[in-house]
Amino acid sequence: MRKVVVTGLGFVTSIGNDKATVIDSLCHLKHGIELFPPFQKDNIPVKLAAPIKEFNTESIDSEDWTSPSQYKLRMDTLRGLSPHGLYAYCAMVQAIQDAGLSEDEISNPKTGLFTASSGSVFMTYNHLNRMFKVGVLRTSPQGIISSIVGTLNFNLVAAFKIKGASCGFASACSSSGHALGYAHDEIALGRHDRMFVVGGEDGNFLNILPFAGMRVLTLSLDPDRASRPFDKNRDGFVGTGGAVVMVLEEESIARKRKADIYAEFKGWGQASDGYHVALSHPEGNGLIQSMQRALESVKLGPKDIDYINAHAPSTLAGDLSEMRALKNVFSQNNCKPAISSTKALTGHALSLASIMEASFSVLAIKENFTPGSAHIETLDPEAKGLNIINKTQEGSPKHVMSNSSGFGGANVSLIFSDPNL
Amino acid sequence: MELKKSPAFTPHLEDELRESLKRCSPETVEAVLGFRQYGNFDGIPVIVLGIIERFLEPDVRHLLREGNDDTRLFEDLGVDSLLMVEIIILVEETLDISIANDELRDIRSVGDIKTYLDYKVKGIPIPKQNKRLTVEEIASVMPHQDPFLFIRESKISLNEAESIYTITGGEFFLEGHFKNNPVFPASILIEALGQLAVLYLIRNEKPEFEQPIDTSKVMFASCDGVRCHRVCRPGDILDLKVKLKRIRYPLVTFEGTITVGDEKAVFAEDITLAFDYES
Repeated sequence: MRKVVVTGLGFVTSIGNDKATVIDSLCHLKHGIELFPPFQKDNIPVKLAAPIKEFNTESIDSEDWTSPSQYKLRMDTLRGLSPHGLYAYCAMVQAIQDAGLSEDEISNPKTGLFTASSGSVFMTYNHLNRMFKVGVLRTSPQGIISSIVGTLNFNLVAAFKIKGASCGFASACSSSGHALGYAHDEIALGRHDRMFVVGGEDGNFLNILPFAGMRVLTLSLDPDRASRPFDKNRDGFVGTGGAVVMVLEEESIARKRKADIYAEFKGWGQASDGYHVALSHPEGNGLIQSMQRALESVKLGPKDIDYINAHAPSTLAGDLSEMRALKNVFSQNNCKPAISSTKALTGHALSLASIMEASFSVLAIKENFTPGSAHIETLDPEAKGLNIINKTQEGSPKHVMSNSSGFGGANVSLIFSDPNL
Repeated sequence: MELKKSPAFTPHLEDELRESLKRCSPETVEAVLGFRQYGNFDGIPVIVLGIIERFLEPDVRHLLREGNDDTRLFEDLGVDSLLMVEIIILVEETLDISIANDELRDIRSVGDIKTYLDYKVKGIPIPKQNKRLTVEEIASVMPHQDPFLFIRESKISLNEAESIYTITGGEFFLEGHFKNNPVFPASILIEALGQLAVLYLIRNEKPEFEQPIDTSKVMFASCDGVRCHRVCRPGDILDLKVKLKRIRYPLVTFEGTITVGDEKAVFAEDITLAFDYES
């Protein structure tokens, strides 16, 4: 099997729109949560979200949108995009620059692109409204491609002239973990030399608010304490969006072109709960299986992992089953890796969450820190025996596991390691 | 002519039109309002160009402003089929017309769009563009026949016709023009352009020709401003083109050009035919 390394990252997140800002936010536990203006209405009990700053994608007309001035989009690129398509385009530009890729290295049959997003409810809603208002034949021809699941791959493949595989993954909050895992395998199996993996979510009114119907959004009014995974008094997640891009390459190719390597993407595991459409298994059975499979695939034991970026979205049931799964795999084997949930800072980014947290994990390996779990005032008693760190610590983890769990009990565990081991 | 204000034009409609056209030039908006309020057709070209321009990348807008009807939508302006639909939707909305998919199929250039919409808003049937004729079809409609027919497969568009002719070397007159030195006579090159003009005249669908043309009454009238740039010999493939300049019954005038590969061979500023309708 060929080795896979991470050579580039791009960020448009609630805690920063570039690598330096993201690192600063993770090190100093600066969150991106605020009273979200579109929610400040009497009939909306949810008040908080973690929106993307420096962009404005509120208009239903993409030509009204604004982005930081360093990004130059052609009109024909902009027209097919959803809000998260715009974020992803900008994150792609960053990741390409970060990895130092030439046009030929981006556009060739051995470079592919996998994506994860839930599509754009915002675009769907607005285009359907227009269809009902003005008739079927006067709806925008871009309506479908900017709306449906897959919108990220259609647009990015065209904009960046990708010639290898392109595909989108949909497993709710595990989606971008699946995209990463299968992209890893494409390179490990020799089918591709290089893969872009992209996660994105609109993170706007229509994307976040429907989760209120499941009663999983926090009703807190306090941005500084609202998202608090592992806290006894947690009461739901804070929604966010954005986009993150990770560049994966076969190790010898990356070394030959003298790429700056963040980490080795050693391998991954996945398993399903087979239990409930939305709730995770109370004992975390699927997640236990997925973590064990990840460890087996990379030939490491629980004692080798020194940091776990948990899925823990700050929901009652989700955090609980993950704590039980972590105890099963690690505590029962006398292993105490550092554990944190960076969702305390970012909010929960749904399809984007897994790759965002995987990127934080490789940043930790490269930049000599281990991110802390913010906002814990009263640790949940269920966390007894787990080494949940509430401050960011100096020092790089050698081997990181990043967990994600989606609806239907779809669990993914990714393992990244120091590339110089 | 005094124009009557349409009762369907309300302040609400004006607001909607202004919103839809907010990225178009002020002249475009005024032309649309003039059309919708008073049925003023004169603004149609301004409206159409204004709407196309609004969708173009800034770096190609100057091509549209230069006002050349031959500017190609896809190759020159980067208008792909999806963008074409966006343009059409905005045109439909602002001019309050409906455009069927099959009517768009032949539109290639800025001129095609202008002509199409001009007919459309006036309620004149849309002529079929880019009609192709085989040698057999041409021979069956033309008064000229071999060995004196100098056009082959031809394409008739709304305002022009194109054809090709390969000089085989077997043409009877080459034996004497000249002795041991076959050169295709300049007079026959002009004849070939004239024949293509005749073909256009009898097979075009331009509504300005009120009735079918009587083929027996089409005659050569005059030819002005002819310049020959290149000697044409056996083996040369002649690309012939005539472009309609004006119709003044009973005369119709074309501009003619012949090229061989990339080389200009003949240019005729005016080729005028006399014609009459079937009685």
